[in-house]
Amino acid sequence: MIGEQLAGNLIQGLFLGGIYGVATMGLSLIFGVLNIVNVGHGAFMMVGAFIALLMFNTFGLNPIYAIPVAFVVGIALGYLFYYTSIRKLIKAPELASLLATFAIGILLEELVKLIFGSEFRGYHWIVERVDLGVTVLPMSKVYALTGSILVAILLYVWFKKTRAGMAVRSVVEDDVGAGVCGVNVGWVYGMSFALGISLTVVSGILLTMFIPVGINPYMGGTYTLKAFVVAVLGGLGSPYGAFFGGLIFGLLENGCYTLFAMIPGLEPFAMTRFFSFVMLLVILLIKPTGLMGTK
Amino acid sequence: MSDRIAKYYPLIPVYSVYLALFLIGKNVPGMWQLIAMLAFYSAIGQAFNIFLGMTGYVDFGYVAFMGVGTYGMALSISHLYHVEWLGVWVVLIGFLLAAVMSTILSILVGAVALRLRGAYFAIATIGVNEGFRYLIEGARIWGGSEGIIFYGQLAQAVGRKTASILSTFWADIFVFVIAGVAAFITLFYMKGKIGYALTALREDEDAAKVMGIHVTKYKIIAFITSASLAGLIGASAWGLKVTNVFPPEVFEIHYTIECIIIVLLGGAGTLLGPVVGGLIYGLSKYWLTVIIPGFQLLIFAPIILIVIIAFPEGVIGVLARRYRGTPLGKFIA
Repeated sequence: MIGEQLAGNLIQGLFLGGIYGVATMGLSLIFGVLNIVNVGHGAFMMVGAFIALLMFNTFGLNPIYAIPVAFVVGIALGYLFYYTSIRKLIKAPELASLLATFAIGILLEELVKLIFGSEFRGYHWIVERVDLGVTVLPMSKVYALTGSILVAILLYVWFKKTRAGMAVRSVVEDDVGAGVCGVNVGWVYGMSFALGISLTVVSGILLTMFIPVGINPYMGGTYTLKAFVVAVLGGLGSPYGAFFGGLIFGLLENGCYTLFAMIPGLEPFAMTRFFSFVMLLVILLIKPTGLMGTK
Repeated sequence: MSDRIAKYYPLIPVYSVYLALFLIGKNVPGMWQLIAMLAFYSAIGQAFNIFLGMTGYVDFGYVAFMGVGTYGMALSISHLYHVEWLGVWVVLIGFLLAAVMSTILSILVGAVALRLRGAYFAIATIGVNEGFRYLIEGARIWGGSEGIIFYGQLAQAVGRKTASILSTFWADIFVFVIAGVAAFITLFYMKGKIGYALTALREDEDAAKVMGIHVTKYKIIAFITSASLAGLIGASAWGLKVTNVFPPEVFEIHYTIECIIIVLLGGAGTLLGPVVGGLIYGLSKYWLTVIIPGFQLLIFAPIILIVIIAFPEGVIGVLARRYRGTPLGKFIA
């Protein structure tokens, strides 16, 4: 009985983990290249979620088609914030960049609140379900996981096979050295920031297929914190590490929830969150390069 | 001898500001709440500045110390209210407990997180704050997510009239006192060996280490000082004043951000900075709440961005540089 429940929850966790993974790749990319932690991360996911909602409600478009739109919006937002603020903060102390990205997050949240209001909204898409025996999955989650794996593979190929990807990798290794070898470092910074933001916005769309309660402008905070844990799990600054970190985190989260629910006197939801932050601290202390880190 | 006194001249403007605030609050009717808010922001800015401003480490989980302090007050009152001979002393025990608890937490956090640097430190401290909040909720410690409401117990311990004065007047006075103490400690550190060590560490930690400065020791001193002051402020401004405590409120990350903004606005690492920052932040927040309720943050966010990019030294940082060497410069630090 409990085994079956655990298996079912773990499958759900794997699907959710895929989303966590994609949702964290942008954060890790930005940290890896610019050495900036985007504290406004969740707000960009929220923007993606609202793009999906808007497309679905006004044009009746399938959220899958909203992905290219979100990608373009993300690139635009990324460049906008890069050139107005982030560019001047790359070599500044952490305090400046942390506070600046937080302020950007607040700005986005308040703008969306100004337009849409702060109540929860939701949409219903695809009611079909797949029965896996131990658990029932809505088709939308299957699409979401497929989408996130595709995004992860595309990013991997872009990194390893294109000249732009090579330039980014060289800047991650050594920005001064890359500059000396003729890589336009400023351009790489701008592009990586824009790409990181747009990945995050896209992940917001995939995320809407998972949240039953709907979305509101302040939904992002939770995901910022989760993204930190996932990013640390996968090794801060490594985008594919983040993807696998996400999968692991999804499994752990759902597994722990099931186990904590068996212990009387505990609130399983809060204990799961507690556990995830303990994990964060332990990894930061014993293996700050992440579970898959080599160094 | 005169040098030793001249060292403390910069305290004059700080204490004058607090005195002026107190007099305005006491004599202008209807102003007390605003003044209390300003004192709170200045106090917390000063307490945070001792760590953030002097070391350059960004503690994103700073609010946890205020939260724990609030719990200290709440636990003292809700557990000891029936001990009759204690009377008003229960509040003093609350402050002591707040200081002890926030100190213990800061030692634990410091031992773990201060090994990390930069972004890793910031993320670790967020983790501590959130983790602590969910531990309280998840394991149902100290009332769990239902929190503790203790006005009734306070009234029973000290009498209804005293309880009312304690929470509407004395709680704010204690904040003033803590702010004054924080200012003194800041200056004491700044002008002493600790201050030089911390400046060296802030500018270049590795170089400071090589020069033989025991960086970990000084970081921990600044961290614990700052945290215990935060605990006292929490005990007073949230515990005694509000007389209830709920985990989602006292561990809300936005308060940490407010503290960072205050320190940065006024000038990180300066004595007068957090006071000025607290005043600017408190007044503009109050004013914006009155004219455009609900959308203060929409105005604030771009202002913060502009300040970070254009004036990273803050108001006092700029002033101190301009007036250095002049007679006025003695009072700005």
